[in-house]
Amino acid sequence: MATIDHKDPVVVIIGSGAGGGTVAHQLTTQGVKCVVLEAGPHLTRDDYENDEWRAFTQMAWLDMRTTSGSWRVANDFPNLPAWIVKAVGGSTTHWSGATPRFMEHEFRTRSVYGEIDGANLLDWPITLDEMAPWYDKAEKAIGSSHRHGRPALPANNNYKVFANGAERVGYKYYATGPYGTNATPYDGRPASVQDGFNFQGDKSGAKWSTAVREIPRALETGNLDLRPECQAVKITHDDAGKVDGVEYLDAAGNLHKQAARVVCVAGNSIESPRLLLMSSSSLHPDGLANSSGQVGRNYMRHMTGSAYATFERPVRMYRGETMAGIIADEAKYDTSRGFAGGYYMETLSLGPAFLAAFVEPGEWGRSFTEKMDAYERTAGMWIVGEDMPQESNRITLNTEVKDQHGLPVPNVNFDDHPNDVAMRNHGYARADLLYEAVGALSVHHTPPYPSTHNLGTCRMSDRPEDGVVDRWGKAHDVPNLFVSDGSVMTTGAAANPTLTIVALATRQADHILSEMNAGNL
Amino acid sequence: MPESESAEQPPQEPVELQRDTAEGDGTAPAGLSEQQQRTLLRLLKVAYPHPDFPDDPYERTAKAVQDADGSAELLADGLDDLDEQAGGDFAGLSDADATKIVEQVANGAFFKLVHSTTVVALYDDHQVWELLGYEGPSFDKGGYVDRGFDDLDWLPDPRVEEYDGEPRAEIVATELVKAEGSN
Repeated sequence: MATIDHKDPVVVIIGSGAGGGTVAHQLTTQGVKCVVLEAGPHLTRDDYENDEWRAFTQMAWLDMRTTSGSWRVANDFPNLPAWIVKAVGGSTTHWSGATPRFMEHEFRTRSVYGEIDGANLLDWPITLDEMAPWYDKAEKAIGSSHRHGRPALPANNNYKVFANGAERVGYKYYATGPYGTNATPYDGRPASVQDGFNFQGDKSGAKWSTAVREIPRALETGNLDLRPECQAVKITHDDAGKVDGVEYLDAAGNLHKQAARVVCVAGNSIESPRLLLMSSSSLHPDGLANSSGQVGRNYMRHMTGSAYATFERPVRMYRGETMAGIIADEAKYDTSRGFAGGYYMETLSLGPAFLAAFVEPGEWGRSFTEKMDAYERTAGMWIVGEDMPQESNRITLNTEVKDQHGLPVPNVNFDDHPNDVAMRNHGYARADLLYEAVGALSVHHTPPYPSTHNLGTCRMSDRPEDGVVDRWGKAHDVPNLFVSDGSVMTTGAAANPTLTIVALATRQADHILSEMNAGNL
Repeated sequence: MPESESAEQPPQEPVELQRDTAEGDGTAPAGLSEQQQRTLLRLLKVAYPHPDFPDDPYERTAKAVQDADGSAELLADGLDDLDEQAGGDFAGLSDADATKIVEQVANGAFFKLVHSTTVVALYDDHQVWELLGYEGPSFDKGGYVDRGFDDLDWLPDPRVEEYDGEPRAEIVATELVKAEGSN
C-alpha cells in the first residue's frame, strides 16, 4: 500500500464499493496514485460472520437516518431506509450476485414509455451499444456465470421449486444465472461451497466483491492509499471552481484534509448526494454541482417484493447460493399488463432471524408463527423491477437530527408511484401462480425490505439543466468532480444494478485516464 | 468542516434492528417482580405461540426483553397494565382471553418494545433454529455442497442453462391499457 501525503493532490475516491473500488482498481493499475476514503472498517473473509444479526451489526450502515413519505419502510423501519454495507468493499460485500444487463430500451424510457404522470423519466445520454464492451469487461471481472464461457451454478433446493414452477406456468427464460459467484474456480478464487451466506459477506471468496478482487489488487500496485474508517464530510474547491480537496474524519474523530486533483464520489445513492449537499459554498449555495437542483432527487429503490411459499415437503431454501435463480420472462415492456417497465423474479432465502423481522413486519400471533413453523418447508423469491423516478423521492439534509459526528443526517423521502404498485401486484400474482403450479399450500406476499438498490440521486443527462452529471459521470458544474456509483443512473431499469455500476465505473476510469493523458485533468 | 457541527443536540442512533443478541453475563435480570416476570413469559407464549417449543427459548427471550435498552419503566408499567386488564392475573387467562388483551395493547409502545426485541431474540435462538429445521452456519463444515444443498427429490431436476430457443422479446405491447387482474 502507498502512503500518500495529505498535501499531494491525487485522485481521491470516496467509497470502495462497486463504483469506487472499480475506479480505484482501474486507475492504480494504470499507474495513477489514488486515495480511497472508506467510511467503514477493512473487513476481510476471516472477519465475516455466518450469522445474520452478528453480520448485520458488523457491516450494515447503521448511522442515523430518517425517513418520510408513504412507503411502508418509513413506518416499520423509520431509521433504516436502506440495507447497505459500511465496510471496505461497500455493498458488494453483501450483494447477492445477480448480473443481468440492462435492456436496450431501458436506456431510453422517456422515448419508449412516453409521458407518465408523476414520473420524471429521461433518456440516458448513452446506449446499450455503447455500453456493450464495458458490460463484457464487467462480466469478466465479476466472473458472471453463463457468460464468456463461465459455467452455470447447479440447481439448489430453492431453485428446484422456482424453476419447476416457472416451467409449469410457461416461462422459458429461467436459469441459475447470470450470477457473480464461481461455479468452478476462476480468477484465483475458488468454486462455491454452497454455504448459503451471501448477505453477510462470503467467507470462501467464491463470490466476487471489490473487497476480494479490486481493492487487494489495487493495493498490490503500490499506488493506492486505502483509508478505512474515514468519513468524508466536505469536498472543497478553489476560486476557479475546481475541486481541490476532501475533508474527512478519521476513526478517532480527527479532521483531516486530503488534497485532490480529481474527486470521485461513490458513497451510494444516499451518502453521495448528502456529501454534495453538505459541500455547499458561496459558489454552490444549493450544494456542490447542484445548479440543476437535481442532486438528491429522483431517488429510486427498485420496485421490490418477496413471495414465500409453503409446501408439504421440505425445501430447505437456506442451503446453497441465495440468488442463483433468475426468471426473465417478465422483464419486458408489455403494457398489456397495465404498467410500464418490467421485472425479474429471483430466488431468495432468509434465515429464521431475518425472516421473522421482515416477512410481515409488526405481525404477531398464530398467523405469524405459522409462517415461522413452516420454515423448513418454505421456498422464497424476490421480485425486482424498474420503478419510476419522481422528483419528490428525494434525499435531503435533516438539520433537526445530527449523527455521531454532529452532522445533519440524510432524510429519505419516498412514495410509490402507481406504476410501481401495479407492477408489484402483478409480480405477486405471478408468484402465486408459479408456486401453486408446484403444489404450494400458501404464498405470503412480503413487503419491500429496506432498500438494497439505491439509485438515481445524481442522474446522468446531456443537459446540465436536468441532470447532475454528463455521459461520463462528470459533474456538469465542476470540471474535475465525478460521481462513480449508482447515483448516476438516469433511470433504474429492471436489472440488479451492480453489473451496470461496475461497467459504468470501468468506462469512467478509462475516460479519466485519457483526460489526464491529454492534460485536461 | 460543515457549519452544522453544532453540538446542541446529542447524536442519535437508530434503535430498531440493532438488538445486541450476544450472550448475557448470566445474572438474573433485576427490576421486574416475580409476578411481572410471570406475566412477561405468558405474554411471549401467547403472542408468539409455537406448539412445539419448550419454555427455554421463551425464558431466554424474556430476559432479552428485560435487558433491552431503556425498557425498564415501560416494561414494568405495560406488564402491570396487562394484569389489571386481566382482572389481576394475565398469566391465569386462557389463550383466547389473553390474546384479546394483547390485541388491545398491540399498537402501543409497550408491545412494540416487546415485539421488536422478541423477533430478534426468539428467532436468533439456536434451539429455535433446531426446532424450525434451520442448520445455520456451514462454512466450517465445508458448506452445504456435500450436505444436501440439492437434495430436494419431490420435483424433477430443472434446467440450469439459459433457454436456447428464440431470444426473449423485450418490447411486446406498447399501448398502455389496463390489464385484467393487474391490480
